[in-house]
Amino acid sequence: MPGGPNCREALSLLQDYMKQEITPELATKITDHLQKCRPCFDHLRFETSFLEMLERKAKGQCCPDRLRDRILSQLRSELDGSSDS
Amino acid sequence: MTDPAPGREAFEAEVIPQLDSLYRLALRLTTDPSRAEDLVQDTVLKAFRSWQRFQPGTNIRSWLFTILRNTFINDYRRRQREPIPMDLETAEPHATFRAVDDEDPEGSFFAQIVDAKVLEAIDRLPEDFREVLVLSDIENLSYAEIADVLGIPVGTVKSRLFRARRQLQEVLYDHAVEMGYIRPRARAPLEK
Repeated sequence: MPGGPNCREALSLLQDYMKQEITPELATKITDHLQKCRPCFDHLRFETSFLEMLERKAKGQCCPDRLRDRILSQLRSELDGSSDS
Repeated sequence: MTDPAPGREAFEAEVIPQLDSLYRLALRLTTDPSRAEDLVQDTVLKAFRSWQRFQPGTNIRSWLFTILRNTFINDYRRRQREPIPMDLETAEPHATFRAVDDEDPEGSFFAQIVDAKVLEAIDRLPEDFREVLVLSDIENLSYAEIADVLGIPVGTVKSRLFRARRQLQEVLYDHAVEMGYIRPRARAPLEK
């Protein structure tokens, strides 16, 4: 795409672009396109909103303290049982 | 011969900070909190016993996720809730966006959906797709790291991630319409 990507090309690369898994040169071309093209920019915002929501909601779940304690005490008893540490 | 791992005390320093991530992956794989706890505990124990084989400087998260997933497959996998059938030949790859782009192009309706509903929708994705989504979009692994953990080509990671996201968006959109968070709109006809 020497003259920069069209909408179809930009959208097909959006996932890789958002994961920062494309070359810097290509990323620059996509950024240029997104700055000029409102529908594609809306697409980016929609995907960003979806991914932020996903990460936020899933990361609300953390390892319970009782599990953490259980694991730590198990590790310590493994260490006590070994002679090489 | 030198010890490849930098001492056993280092194990705790490296692994304990990863417990939240391990627990989240275990939850999504087992879809059961109590089994998830057992899976994490087994994973950490196995990791501890093979700590000598961990190469310092390599990715501790990928290493732990690999052990967790293998443990899940060997010891924990069982028949799960019937997954939502994946439409593997989706003709319109951006159907959800097209359904909302007039009314809510920023996708702000997503934020209104309660956490439990989102997690349930993730858990109903087919396992092959769910694990890619979790590793990418919740734990932020790169394509190459995910390919390494799952033992599949990068191209497969990319296509599964794409489909998993589309599927999840459709399920959440349908839910948002049902709950009245967003007005339904007839899906746009496919572009020729």
